[in-house]
Amino acid sequence: MKRQSIAQTLCPREPEIVNLVMSGRCPDGSDDALRVHAADCVACAEILELARVLHADQKTLCDEAPVPSAGAVWWRATIRARAEAARTAGQPITLLQGIAAATAVGLVVGLTGGWWRSIVQSGAWVDRFGDMVSLVGEQRVHITSSAADPFVPALLVLLVLAVCLIAAPVAVYLATADEP
Amino acid sequence: MRDVTLSELERLGAAAAEADEVFQMDEDAFRLFYERTARPVWAYLSRMTGDPRLADDLLQETYYRFLRASAAHETDDHRRNYLFRIATNLVHDIRRRPRVDAVQMSQDMEHADPREADAAGRAADRVDLSRAMARLKPRERELLWLAYAQGSSHQEIAETLRLKTSSIKALLFRARRRLATVLRERES
Repeated sequence: MKRQSIAQTLCPREPEIVNLVMSGRCPDGSDDALRVHAADCVACAEILELARVLHADQKTLCDEAPVPSAGAVWWRATIRARAEAARTAGQPITLLQGIAAATAVGLVVGLTGGWWRSIVQSGAWVDRFGDMVSLVGEQRVHITSSAADPFVPALLVLLVLAVCLIAAPVAVYLATADEP
Repeated sequence: MRDVTLSELERLGAAAAEADEVFQMDEDAFRLFYERTARPVWAYLSRMTGDPRLADDLLQETYYRFLRASAAHETDDHRRNYLFRIATNLVHDIRRRPRVDAVQMSQDMEHADPREADAAGRAADRVDLSRAMARLKPRERELLWLAYAQGSSHQEIAETLRLKTSSIKALLFRARRRLATVLRERES
């Protein structure tokens, strides 16, 4: 009980004890005063014992450590840094492609919706559908005839634009990509 | 860990100059720093994770993060403390994933092959220490190792573990008491 209470006090000479162990001068290299103190002070005796065990363990582990050479670690770090740089550089292209695709889809959906709404509102969608069926049946669908409808050429132009938006980044990527 | 092949070395020869620009130190300075610190860092990682193979991987990761960091260091001691801080953070990250089993932690120590009678005694001591350390809290292990295995000052420990210097004394005291108790339990 008494030992326990003494051990719970913090000794101001702890750093000296630790330094002694770290310098490898323990126990023979210590001065008499410190040796006497370590024998009397329970806290320092405990530190001395633990520090000796832990420091010896660290020394053994350091001797056995299968560390790779500095050169190998440097090269691996170089490889990884390059790979990360390439990945970072590739990110804007991916982002651009995504934006282009989303824009194209949005345009197509918006225009189709607008066109459909105008047909439904005018109440002539049944007639137009019938006309389209008959036109296809008679194989009389021509660009000139479709130009009469103001929505069809606009839609075609926008579709071409959307395809370009998607295809252009892909083409740029294929043209500039490194060969494997 | 995979060894770097000759062809890889040749192919990446030109990349060395680029790496110097990306990393916080050049290759020569790194070699010097690595020679001084690699073994203690590996020992620290090995004891904190209880898995030497994991320590191999974490060693590479520690140095990579160190090289990529943009932190400026006034002295070599600061640089060294920063390196150990990275290692500590990596160990914490690993700990959040699978739980390190106390039995698993000491397996490698048990498989030690002592060639001499003296070495056998030391190996047994290390098994005891390994098992005792495995029963401590991670923070206690870190404190004890830095203080008594490496001889770091309280300020250095605080810097490495991101704790207040004033709290180190009390934390270290509690950790020490626990390790002493665990070791005595094992002895008895």
